[in-house]
Amino acid sequence: MLNWLQTFTRGGDGLREINKRFLEMLQDGRHIFDAAANSLLGGGDPEVIREDLFRTDARINLTEQEIRRGIVVHGTVHGASAFPVLLTMMSLVKDAERVGDYAKNIFDLAALRPDLDPDDVGELTVIKDQVSTLLIRAHGIFKQQDVSTAQDFLKETDGLQNRCDARVEHCIKSSDRSRVTEVLAYRYFKRVASHVGNIVTSVVMPVDMLDYFPGKPMSEQ
Amino acid sequence: MKNPDPAAAAAGFGAETPRRVPPTLRLLLVFVLLYGFLVAIKLMGGGIAMMGKETSKGLFSGVSNPFAGLGLGVLATVLVQSSSTTTSTIVSLVGSGVLTVRSAVPMIMGANIGTTVTNTLVSVGHVRRSQEFERALAAATVHDFFNVLCVSLLLPLELMTGFLSKTATSLTDVLIVSDGATYKSPIKKAVKAAFNVVVDALEGLGLSGTPLAITVGLLGVALTFLCLIFITRNMRVMISSRLERVINNALGKGGWIGILIGIMVTISVQSSSITTSLLVPMCAAGVLTLENAFPIMLGANIGTTVTALLASLAADSSAGLTIALVHTLFNLVGVVVFYPFPRLRRIPIQLARLLATKASRRPAWLLVYVGVVFILIPLGGWLLLR
Repeated sequence: MLNWLQTFTRGGDGLREINKRFLEMLQDGRHIFDAAANSLLGGGDPEVIREDLFRTDARINLTEQEIRRGIVVHGTVHGASAFPVLLTMMSLVKDAERVGDYAKNIFDLAALRPDLDPDDVGELTVIKDQVSTLLIRAHGIFKQQDVSTAQDFLKETDGLQNRCDARVEHCIKSSDRSRVTEVLAYRYFKRVASHVGNIVTSVVMPVDMLDYFPGKPMSEQ
Repeated sequence: MKNPDPAAAAAGFGAETPRRVPPTLRLLLVFVLLYGFLVAIKLMGGGIAMMGKETSKGLFSGVSNPFAGLGLGVLATVLVQSSSTTTSTIVSLVGSGVLTVRSAVPMIMGANIGTTVTNTLVSVGHVRRSQEFERALAAATVHDFFNVLCVSLLLPLELMTGFLSKTATSLTDVLIVSDGATYKSPIKKAVKAAFNVVVDALEGLGLSGTPLAITVGLLGVALTFLCLIFITRNMRVMISSRLERVINNALGKGGWIGILIGIMVTISVQSSSITTSLLVPMCAAGVLTLENAFPIMLGANIGTTVTALLASLAADSSAGLTIALVHTLFNLVGVVVFYPFPRLRRIPIQLARLLATKASRRPAWLLVYVGVVFILIPLGGWLLLR
């Protein structure tokens, strides 16, 4: 009761709270992406991380729901002027939630204990490290709303996605047709990078252009 | 290209923020508006008093029948979309001796019913999505059903026993005896001074007699309406962050905390319609349950009575305070009678759900409901029984 009464006397911006929770989602997403990808590429026992991974993913999903509720409340109280930022947030929480989903997909691959091609392990490890770094940097760029860094970041994300596509193409065209796990891993890493990129587009693009990279032709988006 | 205030930018995503008025200036403005509101009440009462006792009493002779008074209360509030304006006007009329407390009680109860039409109209915005509309309409009409049930129970009881008006009269006596300064306060002096300035100015324009009285009265009505609109608007801006935080914390809470939330929010924004209309979209979206929204609406019913109590500060006699206290008591008794008992509490909720289910399948039900409850019955009552 006392806590509740204090909310009446304390100020507080609901959007800041939504923003804070969103950054927590990103942190959680990075945590389980790292755990799942390390498990896949490091060859450790995936069962060791299962509980933590699923608990963290459940927390991500709960945070997404809380943020959506917060969005409804903020929109109701503040009216039309809040709509652009709230629509953006609705889109971003979905991207952050998808990072968690792909981490689970990567974990599912790891749980099959696949025998990966050594060349791909090296390449996937490089890409994994880059995606992990992107997740950390996205957190900072979003927090700082740093436009110039965001533009560089998006170019880098685009390059990383192209690199994943090239590796998928290489695997499919190679004589060894059994590299399904590698193809899926490249695909999942690409999707994580893509969702992180979508989040950062909010720093540089208007609501209608969210998820589209600046300067890139529409046909290539 | 870093943003100078990254935290604020991230919270607002660099979106353009509306031009901000400093909070202290806004608070000052609210005080000025409150003063304007009290002057308006005085103008209303003064204008009617200037018409002469016979004329002014003749104007309201139609409401001696309680059901006509109830109908007029509903109609007036539906028309101005603000129970605060209606109740403040009633306080002014009672304070100036034009209406008796007894004949004003049904009007006050009618204002309680009339004010609920606002959130019913808000719920229409969800009509294209049937599930959402069903939840929105249930949230909007639970308030209506509760107020109608309260009036159905308490109005006959009041007519038979006068328990509300007698209790309010006793409370008025206690308040005035314990605080003799209430009716000779500096506020009253300041209000009277502004009233005299306005009347002198109008006389300076060549007005006198009945035209002067009518002009003063109408000016009072218009000023009351405007001041309440701007007080509500400014208070809403001032407390929006707190309001959001409180609502976020209230989402999972019902019961007496919900009632307290409703009271505090409504006192802050000076409008029960604002409070209840905020709840409708949240219920529609499914983030707030009807069971948790209901006590907040009951709190809004109690909180809104503060406006009439404020208006009584400018009333000419203690009867103004008495009718304002009747308004508070009526809403308090309604909550005490219905809310603690789960079976009684469920009646308005079930009625609202029933109507919402029917109207979500056939929206014509909503038209029939609004037409009958807010227009036909009150209009019929007023025209036939006055």
